Amino acid sequence: MPKVNSPTDLAQLQKRLKQEQKKYDATVTLCSGTGCQASGSVPVHTALCDELKKRGLSDKVLVRTTGCHGFCEHGPLMVIEPGNIFYCSLKTEHIPEIVSETVLKNRIVEQFLYEDPVSGEKIIRESDITFYHNQNRILLGMNRLVDPLNIEDYIAIGGYSALSKALTSMSPESIINEIKNARLRGRGGGGFPTAKKWETTRKAPGTMKYIICNADEGDPGAYMNRSVLEGNPHAVLEGMLIAAYAIGSEKGFIYVRTEYPLAVHHSVAAMKQAREYGFLGENILGSDFSFDLDVARGAGAFVAGESTALMAALEGQVSEPRPKDVHTAIKGYKDAPSNLNNVETLATVPLIINKGSDWFSSKGTTKSRGTKIFALTGQIKNTGLVEVEFGTPINTILQKIGGGAKNGKALKAVQIGGPSGGCIPASLFELPVDYETLADAGSMVGSGGMVVMDEGSCMVDVARYFLEFLIDESCGKCVPCRYGVPRMLEIVTDITNGRGTEEQLVLLEDLCDTVAITSLCALGKTAPNPVLTTLRYFRSEYETHVREHRCPAGVCRSLIHFVIDKYVCTGCGTCAKSCPQDAISGERKKLFHINEELCIKCGICRDECSFEAIHVQ
Amino acid sequence: MDGAPLRTTQGSSVLEAALSFGICIPHLCHMKNLTDIGVCRLCIVEVVRGNRSSITTSCTLEAEEGMEILAHSDEILRLRKNVAELLVAEAPNSRAIQDIAARCGVKTVRYPFHNADCILCGRCVRVCSELWQAEALGFVGRGKERHVALPFNTRPEYCKKCWSCVDNCPMTIKPCEGSMDDGEEYFCGKCASQLSTTDKMPDSCVWCKLGEGFHCTRWN
Repeated sequence: MPKVNSPTDLAQLQKRLKQEQKKYDATVTLCSGTGCQASGSVPVHTALCDELKKRGLSDKVLVRTTGCHGFCEHGPLMVIEPGNIFYCSLKTEHIPEIVSETVLKNRIVEQFLYEDPVSGEKIIRESDITFYHNQNRILLGMNRLVDPLNIEDYIAIGGYSALSKALTSMSPESIINEIKNARLRGRGGGGFPTAKKWETTRKAPGTMKYIICNADEGDPGAYMNRSVLEGNPHAVLEGMLIAAYAIGSEKGFIYVRTEYPLAVHHSVAAMKQAREYGFLGENILGSDFSFDLDVARGAGAFVAGESTALMAALEGQVSEPRPKDVHTAIKGYKDAPSNLNNVETLATVPLIINKGSDWFSSKGTTKSRGTKIFALTGQIKNTGLVEVEFGTPINTILQKIGGGAKNGKALKAVQIGGPSGGCIPASLFELPVDYETLADAGSMVGSGGMVVMDEGSCMVDVARYFLEFLIDESCGKCVPCRYGVPRMLEIVTDITNGRGTEEQLVLLEDLCDTVAITSLCALGKTAPNPVLTTLRYFRSEYETHVREHRCPAGVCRSLIHFVIDKYVCTGCGTCAKSCPQDAISGERKKLFHINEELCIKCGICRDECSFEAIHVQ
Repeated sequence: MDGAPLRTTQGSSVLEAALSFGICIPHLCHMKNLTDIGVCRLCIVEVVRGNRSSITTSCTLEAEEGMEILAHSDEILRLRKNVAELLVAEAPNSRAIQDIAARCGVKTVRYPFHNADCILCGRCVRVCSELWQAEALGFVGRGKERHVALPFNTRPEYCKKCWSCVDNCPMTIKPCEGSMDDGEEYFCGKCASQLSTTDKMPDSCVWCKLGEGFHCTRWN
């Protein structure tokens, strides 16, 4: 563990590490992000190491476990160099063949390659897959090159050289200027100009200033920050160091939600290694700059991601938001100037310092520069993490990258920005993704969660789901959120039960408007968004529920009934046997009948019928 | 404020400034000499900066030189009325809450009534922790589970039974026509008839009976 005491030390270490990597005959990279681990990458890894050991190859072949590669639907994933050969959907029994053919003889085994669903072609290289082809993975791309638990991997690809450049040849003001020219905006959802926040913190009165990384990512279905922090924690650390130098801070925190055990583990490990190598502590890289940080864990509250609530939690108080008449950049943690940035924002900083603000600002649109990571989930073929330039049309993300609808049903809407965001209907899928366009459409970029919905989703039910989530997570301090959001749920539930009235629709809009303006924090202020966007774009669905007591998507249980088609039913009796409520009766070879009073609308009969004779009405 | 120049001491909140001039900005969680937490959202005002305005609670807003405030614009009156409606729909069993709703212009309540025992205004907690420095009461739980409780549900020995918490609680002021049982809640609004001037001059303090009941700070 050599301590890196100067920029020269760093450059020499980087050179040495690159040389060392060349001595391996082959490198096998295994994705060990949370997604692939869930698909079984750990036994695959063990099998691989065992096989290599068995063949005496442990010294000649480098096995590297990395963070998330993004193609989560097709894990466990493996990349073999030389050749950039990409294998997916692996199992332990595949390993012996992979080692004997590809690792030893550089021969490709077609069975393990990814098959393009449209062309039927087998693709060899990761970068040729359409999923990756249409992305611009300036940040996530680094995940495939580093083992998050090994700082030397990060140094070998140029890690901490941005810090070195900043400390030796840039002043704090010029660093802020560079970020300003890059036009970097906060990636946590607010989209606030990062340079402006840094400047405000730098100029705020006070000697103790803090830099805090917000890794409390709480939106359902969002895991962008998790994958960056798990896969490349040193990039986040480097970003924090540069930010701290720019604002004049010596102390920082990474606030990670406790539901991300890998991210906590990797942040702590990275922090310890950074200390050993001298990147955290006194006189970093031989300069006057000293900085250290702590990793703090959240305690299970979505609202703790709000800036004032997060700082309250760090102070040891209950994580509830406080009125923000004075910005946290001036009075935050312990009433001292505190700069809070998102994981993605911070990890982008070293890239900007190294490659220049022009390189970054040349991507994206006029007001939204650079790239953004999105978590693509829902009714789409290729779920996973995608990184695209701002300005990419939603359709490109859904079709070219996402591979289109999963179940062959027409895509209906995409919820962007989590529970604070809104639904964009299919008619607007040509819209480019950027802060202003999405905000005008009533949604928001938010943290980057993208949930795709098809014709099988009822938009009123979707609104209900997000309201339930927000009610659970509301801190309960202020009247509009604590009482207003449950009242919204009352009305929406009435609508899904067929008890809604026209007056309630009017009341709902008035209530949403009030809650949006008068709530204390952004959770309450954006809580009406799912309701407002679904009302705006799918008003006819609400009206059908109210006026016709019917759910067009066939989801709302009180409004649907299951019927057996008399022209298709063969009288086989499978449905009656499968019904958990014994609600179906009939004679063999004659039409069977569902008793509405006993039916709980579970849908098992429909799924079990081999003739597709049971439908929802 | 609302076109009239106000002068106040450095460090005062906009709400305190207004109240000292006899301007009525309805409030619930504000108490004289205790910290303001801005949770009831009744005292909201518009702060005009250039051609934009933002809405915030006047109790947490420190008065600044040259500040332009709208405390009774149509927008503010509408929002304040809606917030008060939410309050009375939740806890109609308090004359104080009913009167606040009447003062804020609520005419009908469009939600089904609940019958909460506590409106979670935090007055009891702050009196105990800030005035008496006893900290025998506190908030527990999040969202709908939020409630006021004693530490581990036991009265600690440093609670001296001063009854300040009860004295300052708006729920202890019973509706004049008696307690409302479950299912029999209604919006009274009778005191609204006393507020003959408020339609024409919504900003002036009319020394209404409403304030007398729940220690509106104009009365102390």
